[in-house]
Amino acid sequence: MNAPPLLPEPVPPLEKTLRRLFLMLFLRGRSARGLKKSLAPQSIGRKLALTLIFYTLFGCMALGFLKQPIFALAVYLHGMTFAFLGMFVAASAGEILFNKEEADILMHRPVGPRMLLWAKIRVLVEVSLWLAGAMNLVALVAGAFSAHGDWRFPPVHAVSTVLEALFCTGSVVLLYQLCLRWFGRERLEGLMTTAQVLMTIVLVMSGQILPRIVFQLSGVLDASAAAWWMGLLPPAWFAGFDDALAGSGTGRSWLLAGLGVAVTTLVLWLAFGRLAQSYEAGLQSLNETVSPRVKVSGRRRWLSTLVELPPLSWWLRDPVSRSSFLLTAAYILRDRDVKLRLYPGIAPMLVFPFIFLFQGHGRSDGGFGLAMSGAYAGLIPLLALNLLQYSQQWQAADVFRVAPMGGPAAICHGARRAVLLFLTLPMLLVFAGVGLAIRHDLSQLMWMLPGLVALPVYAMIPSRLSGAVPLSIPTEEAKSAGRGLWMMVAMFSSMGLAGLAVWAHYEGAFWQFMAGEVMVAVAVYVWMRRSLDKVRWQAID
Amino acid sequence: MISAVQLTKCFGAQKAVDSLSFEIPAGQIVGFLGPNGAGKSTTLKMLTGMIAPTSGSATIAGFDLLTQPIEVKQHVGFVPDSGAVFESLSGLEYLEMVAALYGIPQNAARLRIKQFIQFFDLSFETLTDKLLGAYSKGMRRKVVITSALLHNPPVVFFDEPLDGLDANAAVGFKALIQTLAREGKTIVYSSHVLDVVERVCHRVIIIDKGKLLLDGKPEELVAAHQSGTLEKLFTQITGGAELEQRAEDFAKTFWA
Repeated sequence: MNAPPLLPEPVPPLEKTLRRLFLMLFLRGRSARGLKKSLAPQSIGRKLALTLIFYTLFGCMALGFLKQPIFALAVYLHGMTFAFLGMFVAASAGEILFNKEEADILMHRPVGPRMLLWAKIRVLVEVSLWLAGAMNLVALVAGAFSAHGDWRFPPVHAVSTVLEALFCTGSVVLLYQLCLRWFGRERLEGLMTTAQVLMTIVLVMSGQILPRIVFQLSGVLDASAAAWWMGLLPPAWFAGFDDALAGSGTGRSWLLAGLGVAVTTLVLWLAFGRLAQSYEAGLQSLNETVSPRVKVSGRRRWLSTLVELPPLSWWLRDPVSRSSFLLTAAYILRDRDVKLRLYPGIAPMLVFPFIFLFQGHGRSDGGFGLAMSGAYAGLIPLLALNLLQYSQQWQAADVFRVAPMGGPAAICHGARRAVLLFLTLPMLLVFAGVGLAIRHDLSQLMWMLPGLVALPVYAMIPSRLSGAVPLSIPTEEAKSAGRGLWMMVAMFSSMGLAGLAVWAHYEGAFWQFMAGEVMVAVAVYVWMRRSLDKVRWQAID
Repeated sequence: MISAVQLTKCFGAQKAVDSLSFEIPAGQIVGFLGPNGAGKSTTLKMLTGMIAPTSGSATIAGFDLLTQPIEVKQHVGFVPDSGAVFESLSGLEYLEMVAALYGIPQNAARLRIKQFIQFFDLSFETLTDKLLGAYSKGMRRKVVITSALLHNPPVVFFDEPLDGLDANAAVGFKALIQTLAREGKTIVYSSHVLDVVERVCHRVIIIDKGKLLLDGKPEELVAAHQSGTLEKLFTQITGGAELEQRAEDFAKTFWA
């Protein structure tokens, strides 16, 4: 009896191979220092477990809207989802879509740019859906039992959330394609960074501000009463989708829903169909080594000049701190990877103070708005320093360990001062200016003091707790959920401080409270600084 | 096997490769030489379809670079000088991924990978258990070379392939490319290690500032210029003749 002929072994489709590759790279990160294969997460769920729990808990806040009309509940959910997804997609897309090393590995293989783009987008959408799903999980179930909801809400809201995730991803990809098409390869890096940072800030602001506008300023709670300009805010489209199919079903909500579906379809068609060819041009540009334009000879960079002028020449008299200051400032101002992580990351810290300032506008809030904006402003250096630890060129930070220094203190001091000067000070001036314009009373700025007094202490936390040496950790570790939880604790403590100051004011003891806070802050600051000076380098894994 | 006609690449106003033309037949090992910034890597990246030429054309294994880029890529192997790999994949995962991109079934790919690791004296356990980020530079280079040859391409481009390889591996590698050439494969070998190029290559192409300076058999070029060695010829025609004197002057001023 003859043996049956052996069937030729099937070759896995290219799309599947690429999707598997990019998913694996997302799960394990792109660099492997300290990573053990056996400990690498096997699924998105395991990789983002803590983040997903955090998002699910955050989504529980939607339970407070269960008595509201479907449109109001959906506006809250889509607003929050939009802000969080927007931040994730904008921060991740640059690295996923245009990775420089990847060009050397894949561009000479027989793979078309469209196939590469689709494989990456699928992974990006997949992760977005996990995050969106976690954030909407509680409301998805509870919405069916809300005052105005029924069984239709869960499936309808699930569909609108998928649409929203596709819209977010498509918008960021489209932005890249348009930058390439309109401005060419030479200016790609700088332009895309600026565009992406601005886009994230807009996403965060529209996600954070829309629910507040709906509930607090105009008293609008359902789609039929929504102003025309709400049609300009993407979360309102998807909320309209929910309201049209599972809520009031008014003409206005159908209009918003139609707008959402139409714009999402258009964005996807443009990003993945019509402009996919631009993606190849973008990938090729990564291989091109363009010589930088030669500066006028003898002309120094303004940053180098700045540090030699007083008072910076005194503040940065230690040469190591000065070098670290220049390094950090250069990355804050120039590096695409750092800017894409930093500015979208601190965007909420910049948005919330304005929300608090405008909330109290026209009403007497006893200084609560200004106190809260001061509290948030105090957190800017904490968050910024934390984000500045991560870089694609993290291995270059080994130069600090090679240098004859016992520990990272001087480097941390320089980085902290760069953040204070280039990020915190400008924002403080803006907050104070806006507060003054609203209140027309200089003495009202005293409400910002509790946050400002605590600022130096918060700025020391990243260096003291995690030895936050700038640019020394692989970017993949920036996705850690523990960091988000830790930030939440800092945020609540800072807000608690502002709340205590308001309470002390009502008790007639504001200045006594401030005196106490100053003493505690000075003591804690001195202790943290001294102990930071004693910190030695930790061993590299 | 390789035909480049007036191949040009501009980055803005800067001409990185300037009207480069050459023909390379099958079975030839060609040393592609030039000083830093001469346009070697840009030329190799154009010939492998990684970047588009500004003007000019090329055919590889009979396929047009501009109109049939995927077919060209199926017929070339490339070892870039960066030696970039996905560090968070194990060696086996990486090589199997590359094999899948060329349509090689998994079992066939594993068989070929085993042959390569045997040749390079790597253990299969290293390939399966360790992530590429934990490999030494030489081990990583061996994986990159394997990934370029896995699909048995008729044309192979090497950009500084010996970087990181130990002496034994380097000797083995030189023997390998000579064997590949005898089997009819076309090898383009870009390197700054000129004595190796002199010993291994049938022909050298020297470029500078994007332009072709010399093209011919190493021994004939050396004889024609009465330079004695390829290294001397190279420094003679690329303006590096006074390097020894400059090094001496520098040492005197720096450590004075």
